Amino acid sequence: MSSVAAINGPLSGIRILDLTHVWAGPLATRIFSDLGAEVIKVERALGRGTKVASAEPIAGWLGGEPGEEPWNNNAAFVKLARNAQSIALDLKLPRGKELFLELVAKADVVIENFSARAMPSMQLGWEAMKKHNPRLIYITMPGYGTNGPYKDWVAFGPTVEPMTGLSQMLGYNESEPRNTAMALMDPIAGTTATTALLTALREREETGLGAFVEMSLHEAGTVFSGPWLIDYQLGGELKPYGNAHPQMAPHGVYQCQSRGLEDDADWVAIACENKADWCNLLRLLDADFDPDWGLDDRQHHSIEIDLAITAWTLQFDKHEAAERLQGVGVPAGPVATAPDMLAEAQAVERDFFVPLERFATPVPGNPIRMQGSSSKDWSPCPSLGAQSQQILQTWLGYTASETMGFLASGIIAEAPPD
Amino acid sequence: MDKILEIGAYSAGFVGRLFVQNGHEVTRIESARPPAWASAEAMTAFLHAGKERIQAGPKNFAALASAADIVILEASSADHAASFGFDQWTTPIKVVISPFGLTGPKRNWRATPHTLLAMGGYTQIMGDAGRAPLSLPGHYVEFQAAQFAFTAANACRFSNESKLIDVSMYESLLALSQFTTVMWSCAGRVRSRHGSDFYWVVPSNLFRCADGWVYINTVPTFWDAVTLFLELPELAIDPRFSDNDLRMQHRDALHQLISKALISATKREIRERATAARIPAGVVQTFGEVLADEHLAQRNYWQEVTALDEKNLTSPSLGFQINNRARKPLALQHVVSHEHNSNE
Repeated sequence: MSSVAAINGPLSGIRILDLTHVWAGPLATRIFSDLGAEVIKVERALGRGTKVASAEPIAGWLGGEPGEEPWNNNAAFVKLARNAQSIALDLKLPRGKELFLELVAKADVVIENFSARAMPSMQLGWEAMKKHNPRLIYITMPGYGTNGPYKDWVAFGPTVEPMTGLSQMLGYNESEPRNTAMALMDPIAGTTATTALLTALREREETGLGAFVEMSLHEAGTVFSGPWLIDYQLGGELKPYGNAHPQMAPHGVYQCQSRGLEDDADWVAIACENKADWCNLLRLLDADFDPDWGLDDRQHHSIEIDLAITAWTLQFDKHEAAERLQGVGVPAGPVATAPDMLAEAQAVERDFFVPLERFATPVPGNPIRMQGSSSKDWSPCPSLGAQSQQILQTWLGYTASETMGFLASGIIAEAPPD
Repeated sequence: MDKILEIGAYSAGFVGRLFVQNGHEVTRIESARPPAWASAEAMTAFLHAGKERIQAGPKNFAALASAADIVILEASSADHAASFGFDQWTTPIKVVISPFGLTGPKRNWRATPHTLLAMGGYTQIMGDAGRAPLSLPGHYVEFQAAQFAFTAANACRFSNESKLIDVSMYESLLALSQFTTVMWSCAGRVRSRHGSDFYWVVPSNLFRCADGWVYINTVPTFWDAVTLFLELPELAIDPRFSDNDLRMQHRDALHQLISKALISATKREIRERATAARIPAGVVQTFGEVLADEHLAQRNYWQEVTALDEKNLTSPSLGFQINNRARKPLALQHVVSHEHNSNE
């Protein structure tokens, strides 16, 4: 058994039962735990994979190898599970369900991102849980919500994205729309869930009552299309601009001198917000453009301007190009790959990436910086079921002999089954 | 109910919007608007309905801040933030949102969402191989930083702590960068661009159909169902496609078969087939279609916003709902002079 030290933060003392998986839900609970909440991952014994390594996970293994416990070595999982504790509990067994509901009675929050039908089908929906804990906040994050015509649609971030309208704006042109292909709705849903929980927690302070919080990926993502949805009603021109911008010019991604790497990442992003930026940019270009050109003129001459900018950026690698542009006050940034992100001086100086996982694997930190909180007291991702017995003992008062019995009968686990 | 003072552009505006939607009292100090992805009228209606909007000079900021429980200050750099003198304000919770944060060597770098997306690892992985990367349109950067700011401010109110909170838009992106950095650290792979293709899970791509486009995202457990959805059951026993590794090897051939299978089907037909086969598929909806979406309508998702000219606009409300509470209509208020207001 292993214990996890409490994190100093404003959510200290809040107990969260975390049944989430993949990205959106675990992202939300990682943020909660960074802020001091006690997050208990309630997992299936096979939730992290089988005992024998099969295919390499999408982001690889910690340390580059599956190791002796491959199920604990999936880099994409580990990245989202710091500061948590883990109980592997079989909710399909009657006794496992009973234990879960006993935990619910002691928790402040239950959060899950299954399909809308999953928890009710196990008789573990909100109605069942609130009987065990009227102060419970229950957050459910199905793709399309728990009611409405699409409630049973199977949803992943990339398939929800085009339903929000974003694909009308993202692409090289109107005949070449694109999907972000990075499940953009998931990080939106993850951060939206954190706003929801804080709202519900504060309301509970006033009412003393728990709450049912429903958050669909679809609706959370559609919020981010809000300005366009209103502009549509006002007759706005809405189309993919490629790398251009309706109110800035020049605005693009420009090729730079090769660094000799085969990463197709020799690019710099440049944006001129106003005429002052335009005049500053002209100080670098070998071109005879009019410094008095307004936005319309700059958009009208965008092809010539972009050619002149590229002629200049090709003389420098992306980092030097960005430094030179910043040197004259023009917003610019290199198109970063992962090695660039990890080596970026700004991230290094602020200790953003935290090497607390095994093999000193750096994982992204938390952008919320506040006095009195830091990553110094964070703990690494727990092994599957590392606290299975301890939680039942400390939360519910079971004896070591009883929890050993639960382990022997497969109600709880500390590793995947053979 | 908290009193919030909001100073800044679209990130501060989004924080204020979240507070308004949750029943708090927000006073916004109006300022010059940076360029946006929508018209000024649309940005204002979306972000600022339900807020008190005032004009006030910098000499009034400290007094206004002292009357607030929370100040949200969005600045273009650390020095710009400092120029407000926020460190002297007596507000219990002060949240400063800036491109790179209040410390570090780039704290005063110029930035826009476009340059931050590039530095944050997003741009490198969007768009097609062999073409310029694509920058994400819209206000994702500002809105995500705002969600962190709202969470942080409420967490401090919840614990009854007075804090200065520093939220960097750049770090917000790094924190939300999927598995980009761990993939490099653990597998030595640098992510690159694959168009709309989620490269590692095949087929996961955008396909043209009779009246638009559809995205299919096929994690391995869905493969058999996808063959039924495509009305190509023979693919389930085709040795080229029998597992994800093989489908990756034969990606182009599979994409051609799918394109052919979907090109004559309408979005509605595809949705019906996807629902029947229980596979993840989403159609590209125009903004008009999103606004007319039957599902969102039945869920009472939309919120009515009355603009200054009394025009009623339909706006997304919150991305979550507590106890199925109805979404209340909001109205945009005229900007008033703080001095005028004070004299009254």
